[in-house]
Amino acid sequence: MQHIAEQKSYIKMEKITKSFGGFLALDNVNFDLRRGEIHALLGENGAGKSSLMNVLAGHYAPDSGQVILAGNAVDITGPSEARALGVGMVHQHYKLVKTFSALDNIALTVPHGAYLPGVRNLRSKVVTKMKEIGFELDLDRPVGQLSVAEQQRVEILKVLVGGASIIILDEPTAVLTDEESTGFFQTIEKLSDAGTSVVLVTHKLREAVRYSDRITVMRGGRIVDTVLPGDITDDQLIKLIVGEVITEMPELSESMGDEKLSLQKLNLASVTGVMALKDITFNIRAGEIYGIAGVGGNGQAELAMLLMGLIEPDSGTINLAGHGDITRLCTGQRRRCGLVFIPADRQRYALAGELSVAENYAVSGILRHEYGGWLKVNRRLVRRLAAAAIEDFDVQGVRHLNQNAAILSGGNAQKLVIAREFSSLPSVVIAHSPSRGLDLRASAAVHEQLRRARDTGAAVLLISEDLDEVMLLSDTIGVINRGEIVAEFSSPADRQKIGKAMVH
Amino acid sequence: MEFLVFWLSNIPSFAAPFALGVLGMIICERSGVLNLGAEGFVLVGAMSGAGLLIGYGDFPLLALVVSGACAALLGVLFGLLVATLRVNQVIAGLIIVFLAQGLTSLISRNMGWVNKPFSGLGKLDFGLLSDIPTIGPILFGQDLVVYLTVLIYFISFQIINKTNLGLMLRAVGESPEAVDAAGGNVTLLRFGAIVVGAFFLGVAGGYLTVVVSKIWVDGISGGRGWIIIALVIFARWRLWRAMVGAVLFGCIEALIPRLAAIGVQLPQYFVLMLPYVVTLLVMVWSNVQSGGREGAPSALGRPYLREERH
Amino acid sequence: MSVAKTLVGRRRANLEIREPMGLLAKSLVLLVSVLIGLAVSVCILIASGVSASDLWNEFIVYIVTSPKNLSAVLVQSVPLMIAGLAAAVAFRARFWNIGIEGQMIFGAIAATYIAINDLGPEPMRLVLMFMAAAIGGIGWILLPAILKIKLNINEIISTLLMNYIAFNFLLHLLYGSWRDPLSGFPNSQQYDALEVFPLLGWQSLNFSMVISLFLVLFVLWLFIFSRFGFVLKVLHGNSEMARSLGIRIGLVVLLVTALSGALSGICGFVISAGIESRMTQSFFVGFGFSGILIAFLARDNPIGILIVSVLFATLVIGGQSLQVFYQIPFAMVQLIQAIIVMCVAGSEFFIRYRIAILR
Repeated sequence: MQHIAEQKSYIKMEKITKSFGGFLALDNVNFDLRRGEIHALLGENGAGKSSLMNVLAGHYAPDSGQVILAGNAVDITGPSEARALGVGMVHQHYKLVKTFSALDNIALTVPHGAYLPGVRNLRSKVVTKMKEIGFELDLDRPVGQLSVAEQQRVEILKVLVGGASIIILDEPTAVLTDEESTGFFQTIEKLSDAGTSVVLVTHKLREAVRYSDRITVMRGGRIVDTVLPGDITDDQLIKLIVGEVITEMPELSESMGDEKLSLQKLNLASVTGVMALKDITFNIRAGEIYGIAGVGGNGQAELAMLLMGLIEPDSGTINLAGHGDITRLCTGQRRRCGLVFIPADRQRYALAGELSVAENYAVSGILRHEYGGWLKVNRRLVRRLAAAAIEDFDVQGVRHLNQNAAILSGGNAQKLVIAREFSSLPSVVIAHSPSRGLDLRASAAVHEQLRRARDTGAAVLLISEDLDEVMLLSDTIGVINRGEIVAEFSSPADRQKIGKAMVH
Repeated sequence: MEFLVFWLSNIPSFAAPFALGVLGMIICERSGVLNLGAEGFVLVGAMSGAGLLIGYGDFPLLALVVSGACAALLGVLFGLLVATLRVNQVIAGLIIVFLAQGLTSLISRNMGWVNKPFSGLGKLDFGLLSDIPTIGPILFGQDLVVYLTVLIYFISFQIINKTNLGLMLRAVGESPEAVDAAGGNVTLLRFGAIVVGAFFLGVAGGYLTVVVSKIWVDGISGGRGWIIIALVIFARWRLWRAMVGAVLFGCIEALIPRLAAIGVQLPQYFVLMLPYVVTLLVMVWSNVQSGGREGAPSALGRPYLREERH
Repeated sequence: MSVAKTLVGRRRANLEIREPMGLLAKSLVLLVSVLIGLAVSVCILIASGVSASDLWNEFIVYIVTSPKNLSAVLVQSVPLMIAGLAAAVAFRARFWNIGIEGQMIFGAIAATYIAINDLGPEPMRLVLMFMAAAIGGIGWILLPAILKIKLNINEIISTLLMNYIAFNFLLHLLYGSWRDPLSGFPNSQQYDALEVFPLLGWQSLNFSMVISLFLVLFVLWLFIFSRFGFVLKVLHGNSEMARSLGIRIGLVVLLVTALSGALSGICGFVISAGIESRMTQSFFVGFGFSGILIAFLARDNPIGILIVSVLFATLVIGGQSLQVFYQIPFAMVQLIQAIIVMCVAGSEFFIRYRIAILR
């Protein structure tokens, strides 16, 4: 953690500017890195952190500026040149060939001469490196069968065996469990002790403060400041990151009605035979937000899919007040009963890029026959209601209603999805990771909408891997672990207890 | 018994064009490029091989090489369309077929190559070995290309699975992003795979005219290009399964004339339908057996673009 | 200390996604690429011995000035139009219907069955033939459609294989029980006069033109105005989203492919009852691919299909006279069509992407 790092800069990025089309991603950025230091690059989504590091790793060519390595200006023209200079990057989305073994994946990036003899040599190099940093990994299994944490180890090995002295890690703990994260940081500290410089690109304040030697905050493509973790409070850091302190306060429900949605003993086996969901039982009342807390990968996605009607449970029932047993109903029928869905992957399940903004809004209404008959869809009504909804829900970036929905940014796309789903005054809202990828402002807006729905009497199920979000919004919290609801808490709840239930 | 011997000894030469064609398809599609233009490449190869023999003399082996080369040329066009211009691979494949049909019809008519029989390539004679009863004609009475095909399969297997080039090829078909991040040139790799694949498809076409029919007419490939596409799916993009599939089809195609020869009375056109019906059945069976599109290279059919924006 | 080197001097070309082009710009690119395709084709034709002025005459002058040729073009455009609609309808559900020709065959077989056996009251005969053709086409697309919906089997190959099976079945009929007893040729006996489309009074234009225009308007209504068309649009845009919105994808795809099959069947019927007055063994040749290429060029737009089919029909009629007078084989028309489509397909690249040379 805190150790004496060399004072002289090892690598310096000076006056880096980069724009994409009309969008200025990096604005005169200066960044430096010392030997053996762990340097956190902190900021919200879209602040420019990944872009800056992609320049260093040779994936982007800057419009202007220069990179200086150990006193000499260098010209990084591509990823191979960056690698030759000792820069290795582990991306947020792993660049692995799923059907290849870990060894073959490493062979893809690390030069090794002729294949058959070369890979044999490579194997011994990899094994040596693994011992050095205390990794365990099956080198011969197809990487697609490894866990996410193990895949990350392959990526790290790729970079280390390739001879990197500077490692850039882009949002490394986004997909790791708490336990895996701890293991990860132990590795990082070992590397830094051995002299490797590490850049930690993250939006997680906690981690930056706990594990780094220096923190550089970026916002809107610019460097805001570089600070030492011991010298600054969390609130001050948040102010640097977002520009103002946004604190959301929990607002519990005023009145909760009768039981609306009830899940009884739902069981689902996954394709591998493991039980993805085991005896899931809980219920949500009208006017209540029920939050499912848990580490990602414990059945949340399956639960969401099941409730949406996209998969059927092996056993168990779902009951909806006023409609009885809805377990065997298809998605369309569930929607007609008043269920709406805000899926986690909105690009995949909730938006059609080639359709216009107005069409994406009106589609569920059109399916409910609210926009004219089968003969003719009432386009004028579509435009009118869509325009009103876009104002109501503060969807920005819409120059005119006919433009493709693909243009909307993350936060505005999500607002459009919510506008659409709420256009039918839902009685049940299933929201899965609703503020994933959104900045603080957009998240606050989404939370507000969920509360609004609850206050009109809907039963809201919030599935989220962000414990802060769950604790902020929920009236009742259920903790999911390995496919089971292992604990239930009423708000205000004890964060420690929840955390414990999540990881045991 | 004689029926059996006749049938078995004919199988390799019916199987060879399928085997060569599927090899070409596998090379192309393992790199992630969906190739629906197979029929076009086969046609071009068939015509070029015949054309060389009719126009320039009796050089059957050279004719086969020329078949491959001309198809490879068309492959360059296909590569430009899909790897460089990133045209929808389905449309591009259909364009190639249509183009090839028009071109071969046009050129062969212009050059007077239609309906002109030639001697082509005959079977090899291994002397004593070929005279062994039963086994002789089957194992030692084939033309050169059949034996070469087996050799080519071995070599291809080595290259695809035991060399760096093969590693890159397979990687590009599963995850072009990984290859790009590793510094490899996705476009170039795919281009190469397309052209090599087209070459083998062309040789398969050339085999149909030079060795099997020894004549050229419009559409002599008879839809075999499409059967080859179905065979790739059956083979799950693996070489040894491809060989099995090719032999299977060779069996069926070799059976048809044998049945007629021994006087089995079947409605003529229903017999001709047989390969296509069987292909359909094979596709359904292999799908049911493997539960979906298992084995396809993950990036098959998707044009690759390294995006500079997140 | 060495002088710092700026990152100039090494150029790197990168592919970037463009901001979406406006409709006008896109149409311009389309037009230019079609013209380039035509220009290439003209060069090939001139190289084959046709003079440029002859080309101008055959393709433009004679067709526009002679009512007989003009009506021949329009008559020829009818089946092309319907085949294009059949392809476009299927494409909207992301179903590649390469089996149009097989469905045309079975459509014509069904209609011919009615004609040969004189089924139904005489005034209704044509209507019955029309319906039978639609049903025949639907029947032949049903298997590949179900295989795709239930088992996700590639429809390109399955519909194509069905083509070959259909073709052989056709030959079986025409060389067998349906061979014309009068002529002995492998085509069906001629249709009775009432089983052929009535002429409209101008040149050789017949009632099939009315049918094709009606179908264009029908598909236009379907795609643009109807609710079903909107559902189709959502399905085409994002099928996973469609599913999570409650759309029953299997049902929609089934209905749409059935429509496509019906259109193909009608196309076959229109050729046999409108152009040839009998069922021949090669009436369907080329319409499948032409239909697909037309739908592609017209971007599945029914009005565009109308325009492009007239263009293709002009190529065909012009090509026929080239064949007669200049011994240019008919395959040239196929080639020209392929070249035009290739240029248009290639031009999409410039609409979607931009090459940026970076410092």
